[in-house]
Amino acid sequence: MEKLNKFYQYKFILIYALRDLKRNYKKISSIIITLFISLFILSAIFTIEDSLKKELKENAKELLGGDLEIDYNRNQGNIDLLNKVEEFTIMSEMVEFSTMLSTTNRKKNKSLFTRIKTVDQKYPLYGEVTYEPAGAYERMQNEPYTILINESLSKTLNIKTNEIVKIQDQEFLVIGKVRSVPDVSGFVTFGDWVLTGKQTLDILKLNGIGNFLNYEYKVKFNNNDDPEIIIKKIESIFKDDQKVKIRYPENAASGLKRVIGNFSQFLSLVSISAMLIAGIGIANTLLSFINQNNLSIAVRKALGFYSGNIKKLYYLQLVILLFIITILAYLSSLLIVPLVDKYLSSSFGLKINLFFSFFNFFKIFLIGLLVLTIFSIPTINSIDQVKASSLFRNIFQNLQFYYSKKLIFMSIFMLSILILIFTYRSENLTYSLGYFGAFFICLIIFFLLSKLIIFSLKKFRFNSSTTLKVSIKNITQSKSITPITIMSLGLGVTLLLTLALVGTNFKREIAKSIPDIAPDYFFVGIQNGERGKFEQIILSMDSDANFEIVPMVSSGILRINGINPNTYITPENDSYWVIGSERRSSWTKEVPEDNLIIDGKWWDLSKPNQLQISLDAKVAKDFNIKLGDIFTLNIYGREVDGEIVNFRKVDYRDLNINFAMLFNPDFAKNIPHEYLATTKFYNLNKFDETKMLEIFPSLSMIKIADYLNKVTNVLNKVFIAVIVISTVTIVIGLIVISSAIMVQGKVREYQNLVFKILGFSRKEIIFSSLIEFMIIFISVIMIAIFFAVIGSKFIIENIFELSWKSNLEVLIYLGLSIGFVTLVLILLTNIKYLNPKVYPLIRNQ
Amino acid sequence: MSTLLKLKKINLKYQTGKDNISVLKDINLTTKKKETISIVGESGSGKTSLIMLIGGLERPTSGKIYFLDKEITKLSEDEVSKIRKKNIGIIFQSFYLIPNYTALENVTLILELNKFKNPEKEAKSLLDRFGLKHRLNNLPSQLSGGEQQRVAIARAIAMKPELILADEPTGNLDTENSDMISKILFRYVKEESSSLIMVTHDPKLANRASRKIKIKDGKIK
Repeated sequence: MEKLNKFYQYKFILIYALRDLKRNYKKISSIIITLFISLFILSAIFTIEDSLKKELKENAKELLGGDLEIDYNRNQGNIDLLNKVEEFTIMSEMVEFSTMLSTTNRKKNKSLFTRIKTVDQKYPLYGEVTYEPAGAYERMQNEPYTILINESLSKTLNIKTNEIVKIQDQEFLVIGKVRSVPDVSGFVTFGDWVLTGKQTLDILKLNGIGNFLNYEYKVKFNNNDDPEIIIKKIESIFKDDQKVKIRYPENAASGLKRVIGNFSQFLSLVSISAMLIAGIGIANTLLSFINQNNLSIAVRKALGFYSGNIKKLYYLQLVILLFIITILAYLSSLLIVPLVDKYLSSSFGLKINLFFSFFNFFKIFLIGLLVLTIFSIPTINSIDQVKASSLFRNIFQNLQFYYSKKLIFMSIFMLSILILIFTYRSENLTYSLGYFGAFFICLIIFFLLSKLIIFSLKKFRFNSSTTLKVSIKNITQSKSITPITIMSLGLGVTLLLTLALVGTNFKREIAKSIPDIAPDYFFVGIQNGERGKFEQIILSMDSDANFEIVPMVSSGILRINGINPNTYITPENDSYWVIGSERRSSWTKEVPEDNLIIDGKWWDLSKPNQLQISLDAKVAKDFNIKLGDIFTLNIYGREVDGEIVNFRKVDYRDLNINFAMLFNPDFAKNIPHEYLATTKFYNLNKFDETKMLEIFPSLSMIKIADYLNKVTNVLNKVFIAVIVISTVTIVIGLIVISSAIMVQGKVREYQNLVFKILGFSRKEIIFSSLIEFMIIFISVIMIAIFFAVIGSKFIIENIFELSWKSNLEVLIYLGLSIGFVTLVLILLTNIKYLNPKVYPLIRNQ
Repeated sequence: MSTLLKLKKINLKYQTGKDNISVLKDINLTTKKKETISIVGESGSGKTSLIMLIGGLERPTSGKIYFLDKEITKLSEDEVSKIRKKNIGIIFQSFYLIPNYTALENVTLILELNKFKNPEKEAKSLLDRFGLKHRLNNLPSQLSGGEQQRVAIARAIAMKPELILADEPTGNLDTENSDMISKILFRYVKEESSSLIMVTHDPKLANRASRKIKIKDGKIK
């Protein structure tokens, strides 16, 4: 072809690319479908994650409740210091606590351990409270004994507006419902809660430990003030007050951000796997498509087209296709934002808004482009194998994936960019890198498996039947597609099995009933002098009840080895909760049965006057604490130094009494304390909550079943997301398997045609395909199960922090199901190739 | 000579869109064992269609075909395959070798399919006879047109079939290769007392047959 000037050349290629695309789009429909599904999922995850993060960032002050928050935790704030701050800012006091709320005037009254938020007249400093009916909020602030309840509480206890309820032993009037509050960052907005005026604090009897009291002072700066100066001023006021934690808007909702980050990291890693698997499918489909166009490519070459221009023609078609599909996928993903918003606002009090982000669109397009290019490089470069001379000899070999050193380098470079996009700023870099590492290790192992199968089958001579020989020949022939079939099938099946195992483990956790040995109730806030009376009342209700009572004391960690504990850990760490809020600790003479000592020794009885601490081993690991380190604790305002003497393995999921810190009883017995009790009733019906509350008004009773229901609800919602993404991956996996068959389609059709001419029966042709499938699938499924077990165990235990259990039944059932579905799919896709009509094929050549 | 093949009132029609095309019209033909027949005619006259019907690769729209006194038109596809596998060898203009099988494997396959003893040894000796000893392990794409056709003929005659059907066996070959192929075919038919029905445009090849049939517009003239 005459060398054309560049502009003309590109115009020429563009016109041909558009024309070819218009004519061929039906032939590449599986590329369009897989690309759309995978880009849609990716777009949806990015869009929702971004919307949530944007919401959290833009409304950080509302979520925190001010420009700054002074958190005194269980203690009432230092009035002098707070007054100093109020001199140059606006301050609102908010106190949260948990206590029992009961219905009244019913045949059988019900009670619930409920979180109560008391607010003053200045609340909220930012944002607004939504409620009904009109005026209810103002009435709540002005009139004592009035409350607003949230929708969840209204449903749980079936409470209606204008009904009288009891909080502890005091009657309150429900004057309306609160829909949302702005400062959800430090407040559990899902579950059951109440909003009430500040005066309620004076009505109720509250104690720090049993009621999980929390004093927070929200601060709003004056408009004209420089925030940086004000912050420094406030910090200097509280610099000597060890009980205070100052929080800033950027720390607002850090827990929520972490949950969103973790979950979206999991989903985006699964979606990129789906995308990479889709990439294999795209490569297969494209190769099949180019094989179909073998003749037209040869003719174009004979007419004088450069091979490079023909390749550009195909690349351009893919880019045009990708651009259109990205727009459609991204716009479709925006449509699901209102659905998610509806769910989030009802569950978490968070609102997300639909917004178009060009950056997100570009990122999705770039990811699509990288995946498409990585997988189309070896396919489109196979065009070099087409020789115009084939036209003269009428020989058209089936094209194979083609790699040169330069192309391998390019692919690795693009793959690195892809990995960088997914790992950069991900919640946990190690997990992301580990995930990609595992993905490519799987890929390499499946490739090696294919080579091993080919090598072994070539080594052994089978003389039993022709059909078996044909099957083995198909697997072992030179330029066989066995490696690509095993890799795509292997990765697809591995991902399906992994997600299925994750799903079944989730389902098991959700369906898991309360363990038989687990207590029915936790009782918090039994005062020191009430222990005997408590035991007596419980036994009077059910003489066969089993209960365990342990002392409990508040013990915040002030310093570790003399320095701020925050220097030991970041808020993102799993164990931050140990210093993030007030810590409760206990003491015991013997090692608790279910808390094995991992390192160190139990109490040194020769040092009764020294505080010795037994620490949760995971906490010790996360904080990098060594035996002999010193914790400075705040126990009832007194600073006490304690030495870490041993580490215990604590499993908080066994629903028994567990503490991160245990003290030596010789030292701790003289500390003023309360009691915590767990009770397992022989006959639960004999226990009367209402009577218990009449006797112990400030006692907090947590029913384990209610608590587990709340956990189950959350898990159910996560499970739905896992199921949705699994289904999408299954669909993509099946399309990939079909595409792998399509690659062989033309060759198989031709081969089966010759077999038929030679006298093979249809049964023999089908049987040889089945044997081939069985050899490949059985070896793939073994390795896939192995990877799926490891992968799902890691995800369940490390990302979702749930317990994982292998399930042989599920694995066998799933393995057989996947095998059956794949086989049916292969037969359906292959049916026209299995029994070709000889005459039309021969006439059309 | 006893009858090998009998075609009675054979019609073949095709539906293409709304059009109904009549490819073969009321064909009656009887052939004897050891007979060599050439079928000639213009392109599109129905020569290849006739070969396909005789080989059991296609069913007629109406009429009956008897092969060795057995009516093959009422047999199932698998039963026809069984007859073809043992008794009919087919040679095409485009060779139809399996592209990813070597020359040896292409010939061995049919012998294995018929559970022949030492199929590989037999295939080797056959290819040796056709001057392809040095090409045993080459793929079809590595062979010349003449070599490919020799492999295809070796495959077709490997089972010593009663009948050989050849569709333009020299159509893709030069004069030298055409002569070689034609010699091989006729020598085999003579040596093994087989029958040959061959479609060809080559008058020289057509004249070597003991009987010449001309087809025009789907009818035997």
